Amino acid sequence: MAPVPPTDDQLNTMIRARLASVGIDLDQLPATSDPVTGTPSLNSVLSSLRNFMRSTVPTLAAYHLPGPEGTDPVQAAELSQQGPPPALYPSILTAWNEQ
Amino acid sequence: MNPVLARRVFLARMSATLAAASVGATLVPTGVRAGPAAPRQVPGSLFDPDAYAQPRPEALADITELTIAEAATLIRDHRLDPRLLVEAYLDRIGAFDATYQAWNVALADEALAAAEPPRPGRYLGALHGIPLAIKDNYFTAGVATTANSFIFQEFVPPFDATTVSNLTAAGGIVLGKTQMGPLATTRATTPNGIVTTVNAWAPTSPNVDPGGSSTGTGTAVAGRMATSGIGTQTGGSITSPSNAQNLTGLKPTMGRASLFGIIPLTYSRDHPGPLARDAKDAAIMLTAMAGPDANDPRTLGLPPVPDLITAATARLIGQQVHLRWPTRIGVTPGYVSGTGTTAQARRAFLDTLAGIPGATVVDVTLPDEWDLLTGGTFNNVRLPERSEPFMPFLRTDLRLFGVSLTSWLQGAMLGANEFVTGQRAKLLLIRRVLDDLFAQCDIVVQTSPVPFDIIGLPELALPIGMNASGVPIGTILGGTPYAEDRLLAVAAAYQALTDWHHRRPADPPGEAPEPIPVEPRPGRARGPAARMGSRVGPAPADPARGRLTAAEVAELSQ
Repeated sequence: MAPVPPTDDQLNTMIRARLASVGIDLDQLPATSDPVTGTPSLNSVLSSLRNFMRSTVPTLAAYHLPGPEGTDPVQAAELSQQGPPPALYPSILTAWNEQ
Repeated sequence: MNPVLARRVFLARMSATLAAASVGATLVPTGVRAGPAAPRQVPGSLFDPDAYAQPRPEALADITELTIAEAATLIRDHRLDPRLLVEAYLDRIGAFDATYQAWNVALADEALAAAEPPRPGRYLGALHGIPLAIKDNYFTAGVATTANSFIFQEFVPPFDATTVSNLTAAGGIVLGKTQMGPLATTRATTPNGIVTTVNAWAPTSPNVDPGGSSTGTGTAVAGRMATSGIGTQTGGSITSPSNAQNLTGLKPTMGRASLFGIIPLTYSRDHPGPLARDAKDAAIMLTAMAGPDANDPRTLGLPPVPDLITAATARLIGQQVHLRWPTRIGVTPGYVSGTGTTAQARRAFLDTLAGIPGATVVDVTLPDEWDLLTGGTFNNVRLPERSEPFMPFLRTDLRLFGVSLTSWLQGAMLGANEFVTGQRAKLLLIRRVLDDLFAQCDIVVQTSPVPFDIIGLPELALPIGMNASGVPIGTILGGTPYAEDRLLAVAAAYQALTDWHHRRPADPPGEAPEPIPVEPRPGRARGPAARMGSRVGPAPADPARGRLTAAEVAELSQ
């Protein structure tokens, strides 16, 4: 069964905790956007990050890389592991492989 | 997948490279930097005869109109003093940059001092004495490199970026540093979002998109305030200002040119490259910039730099332009849809290409899951590469990021699992592009630069028309890994048959400096440059030009 989607409050807590754990303090953000520096308000940042956590993150998490050509759909999850490995620089990797 | 095909594509490119190498000695500009005692004529080098062109009459009448290849001919032949060329650009900067706001700093004294005419034993090739606009995220030793950010406001690098060093060693002159989107995110603004640089084709209309984030370089070259320039591209930042301002921009394959000494936005997607007046100039610039750099391991062990300059020289058989290599030009679904001026320009572009012997225009299909793997979600995988190198600043003061903050925080929120999935998807995508898309064609038109930015493939932007308001229309061609030469060959053939790339915008309102011909009249009055100090700072930002909010920047950020 799929987990219950997090509420706004839960996400706010998670976002604050995650960023605080790596040393980023959201409480330094202003209550309204700062016209001098252009810094967005705390609420607008939290809203944007909640949206990010509800869109980009779950979509990526749910994506299954395809397995090798001819993979039986019944074994798709197992053989997904045998699909493409990570490649930070795919064009460079391609050139190295083809030389 | 079809590895045999991918290998065939690669070997075809390599065979062309090796054939070129067998004709001459050195393809990379290493020999150029050594400072030859006498001019050589090495194919693919900055001394290649193909790097020089006879100037057009309008360029002889106003030297700010010269392309690199035209200016190189005049400088080599001692018909043009590079100091005069620098003065001419400084005159235009002094007259017009309050409107264009393209520059963060113009290095008047340094540029004039560096502008030496050739002398016996010291002639450096086609870039000798050519004034260049440098985006302000390239390190320049002793000159502030701000990236239009509060973070780097006082930063003076201790060394030049490798590519800047390569250009100056080849004779190029750093005329100044150009405005950009803060930290290379959007069109050029101040760190707090006030719009600065305008499109040179609509200088009194700040809402006309000038392209970003290499906006300042684009406007500087289009507005005839430099002969050529360099930018960086992570999500379209060379191709976008080139298309918006009638320039030919070349984003090379990842690793073709060093990123050492460039402020990072996304390590795996940042690409340095030229914004130039035509394909030939782009080839000259990239020839100087490209090649292995011990300081950037991404540049090592790659295919050698091909003869870009010859590739960018239209091949004539009799009086007819032919493509240098038989080339299938792929047209993606929807590229010519619609009835607007852009669709019309694209159709005319394809018609012109189809009429060139050697070119075959073919409809192609996109690989599976194209929209998903190149869309916003998978594009966001780049964001941790943005936040990680900036952690010392994120941990110190979030206000330093000004209007650009949000996407840096998004990067810090993306989990490592999702990041790994994204890196796996990049390999999946490039395999599909090479094996499926490039099975159907050799180069492909692009409706967005982002897919090939994600996987580091080369792109060339070029002008193909004007809209009803007189603002340029451009398009983008994409190619296989390290096949910049084929992109240049197609662009050169097209530009031999059309004149869009020769069109220049009208001057902004105000007192224009007197155009300087190749042979100026005696007693010529100096323009506003004569009143400039040794270093000219940016024009004051004007809030009336508009302001991007943090939310807009998060949406637009490349």
